[in-house]
Amino acid sequence: MGSAEEDYNFVFKVVLIGESGVGKTNLLSRFTRNEFNHDSRTTIGVEFSTRTIVVGDAVVKAQIWDTAGLERYRAITSAYYRGAVGALVVFDITKHQTYDVVDRWLKELYEHAEASIVVMLVGNKTDLAQAREVPMEEAKMFADNNGLLFVETSALDSTNVEQAFETILKEIFHKVQKQKQRSSQSNTVSLASESPESTAVAQTEKRPCCVAL
Amino acid sequence: FFCRNLFTRKQSARFEKQHDVGWKLFGKVPLRENSQKDPKKIQKEYEEKTGRAHRPLSPKQNVRKNLDFEPLSTTALILEDRPANLPAKPAEEAQKHRQQYEEMVVQAKKRELKEAQKRKKQLEERCKLEDSIGNAVLTWNNEILPNWETMCCSRKVRELWWQGIPPSVRGKVWSLAIGNELNITHELYDICLARAKEKWRSHSTGAAEVECEDAGFSAADREASLELIKLDISRTFPNLCIFQQGGPYHDTLHSILGAYTCYRPDVGYVQGMSFIAAVLILNLDTADAFIAFSNLLNKPCQMAFFRVDHGLMLTYFAAFEVFFEENLPKLFAHFKKNNLTPDIYLIDWIFTLYSKSLPLDLACRVWDVFCRDGEEFLFRTALGILKLFEDILTKMDFIHIAQFLTKLPEDLPSEEFFTSIAAIQMQSRNKKWAQV
Repeated sequence: MGSAEEDYNFVFKVVLIGESGVGKTNLLSRFTRNEFNHDSRTTIGVEFSTRTIVVGDAVVKAQIWDTAGLERYRAITSAYYRGAVGALVVFDITKHQTYDVVDRWLKELYEHAEASIVVMLVGNKTDLAQAREVPMEEAKMFADNNGLLFVETSALDSTNVEQAFETILKEIFHKVQKQKQRSSQSNTVSLASESPESTAVAQTEKRPCCVAL
Repeated sequence: FFCRNLFTRKQSARFEKQHDVGWKLFGKVPLRENSQKDPKKIQKEYEEKTGRAHRPLSPKQNVRKNLDFEPLSTTALILEDRPANLPAKPAEEAQKHRQQYEEMVVQAKKRELKEAQKRKKQLEERCKLEDSIGNAVLTWNNEILPNWETMCCSRKVRELWWQGIPPSVRGKVWSLAIGNELNITHELYDICLARAKEKWRSHSTGAAEVECEDAGFSAADREASLELIKLDISRTFPNLCIFQQGGPYHDTLHSILGAYTCYRPDVGYVQGMSFIAAVLILNLDTADAFIAFSNLLNKPCQMAFFRVDHGLMLTYFAAFEVFFEENLPKLFAHFKKNNLTPDIYLIDWIFTLYSKSLPLDLACRVWDVFCRDGEEFLFRTALGILKLFEDILTKMDFIHIAQFLTKLPEDLPSEEFFTSIAAIQMQSRNKKWAQV
């Protein structure tokens, strides 16, 4: 407590979703601990990680929920989407099947999360370019048509991992700022005001936020 | 046992010898030393004494090699007089230094003795533990297992059971306790395995669908299930390095999971199963592991979870929360306040029966009692974990609790852990688990 890590202006809850084995856990460990594990353990249920970054002149703490990818688990995992302000929908560029089901993941996400949630489509494993099954243009077009951010990453050689998380956190930040300006009089500033528990957007009392409340 | 006794005696003899050497080596030094000596000679003598002479195989060096620890630096301290080219110490000062030196040696000596005693005690404790395990093995093998039906519920057996089943009989006891309600035979396992292998073959050659009794499941689902098993096997206990591709149990795990998807196509493969099968493989032969696996998953709680029957799972969570509130009201309120719901931590624990979240030896002990007490014990264990860390958890906020519980510390103290499980009462307003 009281450490530098605890000193932040915002907490953003972000969920990582997508088929089993696309590399969600490794994307997260690359971002939060700069680690990669060829045989990381199967995620069952949900795991958590955090990292604090600076956006503009605000300190943002990303609270990332790494969910299990098994189709059968969706009934359980969808409960984890509540209160999320961002989501990374991950697929494996070397397995077309993991891209085909992105649609279903999105549907699931919009059913259980806020409509205003910021979503990014992430094609992972670019280090296996020779085995690519999903053309980048195709995924990019899909993302554009559905209003999603898009990036291709490699958790293994860390290409674009930092950038992916930073982009989505910045996007969330800007969205929050805009919303705040619009409703400057009211108290409802968060994207997910109905769930105080997940502290979707919280402010610490220590440092005044850059935007007047 | 003969071996062990011999070993203890050897060990203590070694200690004596070493003390002996220590006294002679260092105790005599100051007395023998002349006040007028040239440094080279001192150096040479020192080397001889400490066995660091250039002759590689001096007897003293051999002795040193046999000791299981080197003398501490303070013990090896040798009092020397001033070199000849410097004025000699006044007698008084020399006397004082000698006295100080002797005190130091005595202190060091004391410490060494103490450490030796500590080590001896540790060894004795280990022997005692080994003896008690040895005795437990005898009791299990000679008394309990031959009379399983009559003895398995007696108080004495239940107590012994709580202590942890010795690894050598663990598999047998688990098998008996889990039972075989489904009447699965080794032949049935072979049939299921053969069918699974056929599927894999047709899958890999890209042939048309093999008809199986899994109506209602599309080919894509089945394919995904096979893919998923392959994917998960290498992600099961990766640090043990025995289930990975090329590891000794890779094929065994693959076979059991594959056979199960043919035996119960309505359940199929669900993540978490690979961990359960792996723990069984570590304790049982393949076919017996399959029998235990299928029967274990057939239990109501496991069926509810592995079929991902959300409604039933919520019922289990609700029941768990009743006992949570009863046993740990303060922590329960703290969790409620932070909106920390059981699905965040219980899912992993129940799906893998703690084999993923606890150290393997502790997980096996939890399995021991789970086999004895049934599903109730899984939730009791969860409360035991929460109780053990109650003080830390009440000081944490949502994200820290969530992170802590989904990644428990690796050095969980086993005795304290089981004590806190034992302290959990599975009775709420006179209602037992099954009633709630």
